[in-house]
Amino acid sequence: MPNSVDWTLRVNEVTKVFNNKVRANDGLSLHVEPGEVYGLLGPNGAGKTTLVKQIIGLLKPDGGSITLGPHDLVADPDAARQLCSYLPQAQMPINSFRSREAIEITGMIRGADSATVKRRCNELIEALELEEWRNTYGARLSGGVKRLIGFVMATVIPGRIVILDEPTNDVDPLRRRLLWEQVRRLGEQGVAVLLVTHNVIEAEKAVDRLAIIDQGRLLAEGTPSSMKSADRGRLRLQLKMAPGRSTPDLPPLVQEHTRVGNSLMTVINEAEAAHGIGWAQELVGLGVAEEYALGSTTLEDVYIRMTGDIEASGSVTAP
Amino acid sequence: MTPSATLRSGPSYWWRSYLAILRWDLTGLRMVLPITVLVLSLAGAGFVLAVDLFFGQVPDKAALYVCTGVLVVTLVTIGMVLAPQLIAQQKIEKTYDFLWSLPVPRTTAAFSWVTTNLVISLPAMALALAVAMLRYDLPLHLTPMLLPAVLLVVFTGTMIGYGLAHAVSQPMVTIAISQVLIFLIIGFSPINFPADQLPGWLASVHQWLPFAPMADVIRASITVGVVPDVARSYLVLGAWAAASVTLTAVVLGRRK
Repeated sequence: MPNSVDWTLRVNEVTKVFNNKVRANDGLSLHVEPGEVYGLLGPNGAGKTTLVKQIIGLLKPDGGSITLGPHDLVADPDAARQLCSYLPQAQMPINSFRSREAIEITGMIRGADSATVKRRCNELIEALELEEWRNTYGARLSGGVKRLIGFVMATVIPGRIVILDEPTNDVDPLRRRLLWEQVRRLGEQGVAVLLVTHNVIEAEKAVDRLAIIDQGRLLAEGTPSSMKSADRGRLRLQLKMAPGRSTPDLPPLVQEHTRVGNSLMTVINEAEAAHGIGWAQELVGLGVAEEYALGSTTLEDVYIRMTGDIEASGSVTAP
Repeated sequence: MTPSATLRSGPSYWWRSYLAILRWDLTGLRMVLPITVLVLSLAGAGFVLAVDLFFGQVPDKAALYVCTGVLVVTLVTIGMVLAPQLIAQQKIEKTYDFLWSLPVPRTTAAFSWVTTNLVISLPAMALALAVAMLRYDLPLHLTPMLLPAVLLVVFTGTMIGYGLAHAVSQPMVTIAISQVLIFLIIGFSPINFPADQLPGWLASVHQWLPFAPMADVIRASITVGVVPDVARSYLVLGAWAAASVTLTAVVLGRRK
């Protein structure tokens, strides 16, 4: 295969209907270029996993096409499995494996020779600072370390596209950073990375581009900055309410607000920042709120506005 | 680590994948493999001895049927009962999708299961046979046909269980079916006793089920004059082998 092949993943108008009624994917189109880290964001049931399963050849779309370079992944699921590496959201079934065994056997399954697999295994174990668990059985690993071993299994011999479903679940903050470095490295090597996540704050830092999907449809696609462009000139004023306090009457300067637990997030105009701070200080002074913070709007604000509800319990949304 | 630009294919891809996935399966069962071999061996040998303890004096024909039948039970228990339960467990624990996303030809995974089942059941069968020969004065004559008979029985039993586990989407249903199967095999199949001891209708049904032919081909390979028409048994069992391979191929190739 010549080097000039364009290894872009192209998902074109993919539709998947379950039981003749649930449209899990509804005309989804997106593309992920080699070297790109692409985020796929959306609430539970948005259709993210359904899309991933169609890319890796476990489900067949009812309509549309999925291609990777010259390969039609819908017509050729064997090619899909060879070209895609997959880290599922569930933990890897490696309780009986020593960490290095699980990684090395996965590398062999992906077709690499023993020396290459061992070299890559050592490289990744060192990069993620996992040396002390190299010979530990999976059953004795903590959730976070097991997750990292799963990440190494998925990337030891990467395919043209690496699909990572919530890779940092249970992982400590230091090793999260190391993991994102390795994700970047994959990009530098020409691998396309499809990152499936709920963690919008983390995704904002890690991805080059992203798509927000809900109810099987693409709501928006672009770079994190372009997604936030509609929010230029607006600020988020976040208040931590005193326990047991209900949401106070909101002044007209508050354009949007969301309450999750004791956290009240409001959006105000940049020009009214001083008034906003005054209002927040007043609430703190009255003991209604404990503290406040003013900052620029984040991708999470965009995400919440687009998907229209919040996944946490006890939440209220009022756009 | 630049990703590969070519797709693998051909016999060497198949063979390397088979070896790698077999290593995966055996390592994955490492914690339970020795105990499973031990339990199956003790169950097989124990059943041979228990019949004698229970009845005091076992008629020669009954001893012959029990001692040859128990070999079949040890050969198919793993493939038809334990393996479907393991696959059902993968579905419950949501590891099934990862395992099926691995880049190996589907057939290598099926053949790896057959090999794994042979590794577990052969020692148990050998021990049961040795105990039977030591405990009873049986007219056993081991012939080279024992090898193809064992391979065909293990292959068919494994493929039936494997196809079933993949075909049934609900894991709890798979577990229930496999539990019914073990009762059917041990209690209601002419494996440990002659078919003429069953009600006529059930004996007729068993002419077309795989269990009695499994017992016939094993029994015919180590006895003389006990099995009247082993060719028919090979035909019926061969048909079940072909049908279960077809079912497995269809199910594994299917994408919902």
